[in-house]
Amino acid sequence: MKRIVADIRSYLAEAWQAWNLFWFSPTDPATLCFLRVLAGAMLFYTHLVWSLDLQAFIGQKGWLPVDFIRGIQGHQWSVWSIFFYIEEPWQLWCVHIFSVLVFLFLMLGLFSRTSAIFGFLLAVSYAHRVSPGAYFGLDKINCMFALYLMLGPCGARYSLDRIWRLRRGDTSPVAPSTSANLAIRLIQLHLCIIYLFSGLAKLLGENWQAGSAVWWAVANYEYQSLSATWLASWPVLVGLATHITVFWELFYCCLVWNRHLRPIVLWIAVVVHLGIAMFMGMITFGLAMLFANLSFLQPATVRRWVDPLADRIALKLTG
Amino acid sequence: MAKNNQSRQGQADSDPAEPKKKSSRSSSGVPWHPVWRWLISLLLILHLTAVFVAPWDLSTDPALPPGYVPPADAQGKPLPLPPRDSTVWQQPVVPRKLREFFRHYLNLAYLNHGYQFFAPDPAGSNLIRYHVYDSGGAEIAAGQFPDLDDQWPRLFYHRHMMLAAQTGDMGEESGRLYARHLMERHGGQSSRVEWVLHRLLSPQQVIDETPLDAESTYVVLAEIRETAGSTANPSVGELPVAIPGAGR
Repeated sequence: MKRIVADIRSYLAEAWQAWNLFWFSPTDPATLCFLRVLAGAMLFYTHLVWSLDLQAFIGQKGWLPVDFIRGIQGHQWSVWSIFFYIEEPWQLWCVHIFSVLVFLFLMLGLFSRTSAIFGFLLAVSYAHRVSPGAYFGLDKINCMFALYLMLGPCGARYSLDRIWRLRRGDTSPVAPSTSANLAIRLIQLHLCIIYLFSGLAKLLGENWQAGSAVWWAVANYEYQSLSATWLASWPVLVGLATHITVFWELFYCCLVWNRHLRPIVLWIAVVVHLGIAMFMGMITFGLAMLFANLSFLQPATVRRWVDPLADRIALKLTG
Repeated sequence: MAKNNQSRQGQADSDPAEPKKKSSRSSSGVPWHPVWRWLISLLLILHLTAVFVAPWDLSTDPALPPGYVPPADAQGKPLPLPPRDSTVWQQPVVPRKLREFFRHYLNLAYLNHGYQFFAPDPAGSNLIRYHVYDSGGAEIAAGQFPDLDDQWPRLFYHRHMMLAAQTGDMGEESGRLYARHLMERHGGQSSRVEWVLHRLLSPQQVIDETPLDAESTYVVLAEIRETAGSTANPSVGELPVAIPGAGR
């Protein structure tokens, strides 16, 4: 009995240790900072595009008036948006310009942590205003990034904040951070959940089971940006692409944690999402998903790729 | 992973009392106080459960019991199934209750949705075609969305595509609202909006050189006429179609 208790205690101590290593090991914030640049750029562009018809999509009346949307959302207090309360067009434009600036600051890394907090509040505000209506997967991924960027030191590298510190003579190295690790782990796990449920939903589809779904996706004229209808003569290729997509999505949450399989899993992500971006016209969504996959890059890899360019920019700006 | 295996191996060979010592030593490399780590661990578990629960609940459906005999009338003709909230249906209790528990948190963080990208099956696109008329009945504006010639850049086009696609989810009322908006935008007195489904072609049809945008591939699902001040109801032709890419 004593032996069993000791074994259980040993197991629990080991599990707690592994849990601590997984979540609370300090890490170089390079990956998080790189994601801030990419996600910040995506948030900036996504929201800049609303400017083309702001009143119609986000305004009080427009395509789908706020009252109608609130009715569909069930008038829940927790479904919130600053745009539910803005009546005048000039007020709408003021908030919109402020929002676009916040996302620009987030991308550039100016007042990074504050920009990240405002960025999250504003991204959710826009998303709730257009859900349902004009939202799609991109808004979900944008809000996911905005949520987790708030948690870590996303401006520690590759940011104007860092350059500002250097100009003031603060040349101390960037310290490893536990909160950066937490933020990255949350993005990774959230992505695993996204793929798992996307794969499970596809299992219910007859065309995904039959191996023809990729055809029906590329044969959609409204989505099509680059024709892939030549696939009509290649049913085996369509079948392979369909089945690989389903199995890859289903097992992503397991395979991506294995360091030998991770490169394969991530390269499939590149092919799938670049395919969506190139052939189905969803460049923004495809890129946003790819950015999320980059959360699995080691900080050392990110630094090897990004530091030379970042150093050159910093040198120019700091003299 | 390798590190964990090593430590597991090391502990298996050592005295059962030792893990406590090992644990405290390994934790010394982790900077936060154990109380903080416990607290944050609890929050992490709650958050990840919430993130998991939303798509889980949305991907589950109620089911009829095995061997259920559908109701029939006196002639043996099958009657419609009972409504999905009736007691005959078995509800997925666990995901429903969990999502209800986390509902406000999920709403606040914009997490209360699924991830059904192009699932369960890719479907044809929806389009909205419109005509706006002045008080004399002359057409003053016409167009459709999505429309690549009119909506640029691609993301702006895609927003219009979603607007048309989600008509299916929002029901008839959204079509009327589009008609009203177009009337106001163009200063018209009446408008006609067609909700159109663009059907997909099979590989064989494409091999036979039928163009993807052949006229025969467009089907009008509903037509909505709106006059300034009136509230005419649309006639819905078919059931709403799935929204590719939108997810739930």
